[in-house]
Amino acid sequence: RYVRQLQRLQLLFSPTAADSRGARQFVEEAALDFARRHPDVVLYISPRSIPAPLLLAEYLNGTVREELIASKTSEEIVQLATKLAGQSGLDIIRIRKPFHTDNPSIQGQWHPLTNKPSVLTVQGPRLQPK
Amino acid sequence: VAKTSLTSPPWPKVKLPDPVEEAKFHAEVVQKVNKMIATGQYGRLFAVVHFASKQWKITSEDLIMMDNVLEAECGDRIRLEKVLLVGADDFTLIGRPLLGKELVRVEATVIEKTESWPKINMRFRKRRNYQRKKIIVHPQTVLRINTIEIFPCLS
Repeated sequence: RYVRQLQRLQLLFSPTAADSRGARQFVEEAALDFARRHPDVVLYISPRSIPAPLLLAEYLNGTVREELIASKTSEEIVQLATKLAGQSGLDIIRIRKPFHTDNPSIQGQWHPLTNKPSVLTVQGPRLQPK
Repeated sequence: VAKTSLTSPPWPKVKLPDPVEEAKFHAEVVQKVNKMIATGQYGRLFAVVHFASKQWKITSEDLIMMDNVLEAECGDRIRLEKVLLVGADDFTLIGRPLLGKELVRVEATVIEKTESWPKINMRFRKRRNYQRKKIIVHPQTVLRINTIEIFPCLS
């Protein structure tokens, strides 16, 4: 049961500007293949008069990521899109631990009195006489 | 001969048990553990797995992150081999160094393939007008461990 974290990809480009040539080529050639390979991602293509072509990615936790695709070839845009499709919406900051568990100890967490004779818990530590 | 402080070693002398009795005891313990596994009397299982040149202690439903690229796509189920240790509440199975594939089965799914946060690699030498700055972004994969199963085929 795998749920892809990418909700939709919005491709905003202008039909006349020179730096969105790669975006236009991507739309003509590779957009259909991309949509077929990732059937659970919605791809919106909207040509409008925008100063710079953008690729907006929205994730299931609400984070929106904008990537510039000005003067990029369509292969690079395809690679970018697959990379965004594999990501989840968490912030890309330094993560302190490369693992995460909900149940860290099964046989009981170690404390200094495990594997010691139970005389210590019964008697208690030897206190110095004052 | 007189006994000095160096005739016997300072640690207490250990008496090894009889090898025949030892073998019988071992067989009994193995049968008991087999029965327990077959009836399913264990709760949560944890395993120590060697993966991506690191050893991880994993249970079911937990996340692991690697600093490399796996050849599997997002959402693929992967079987992790190279299991070193499997344990439950009452018993542990220790491998020397690996456990057999018919004993343990660890399954994981690839959840995410992202890139790391941009790391800065800077070289600087003082009084020499030398500095180089490079931003490194390397790919990462996130796996979620689905299940750890054991089968009662000890010997």
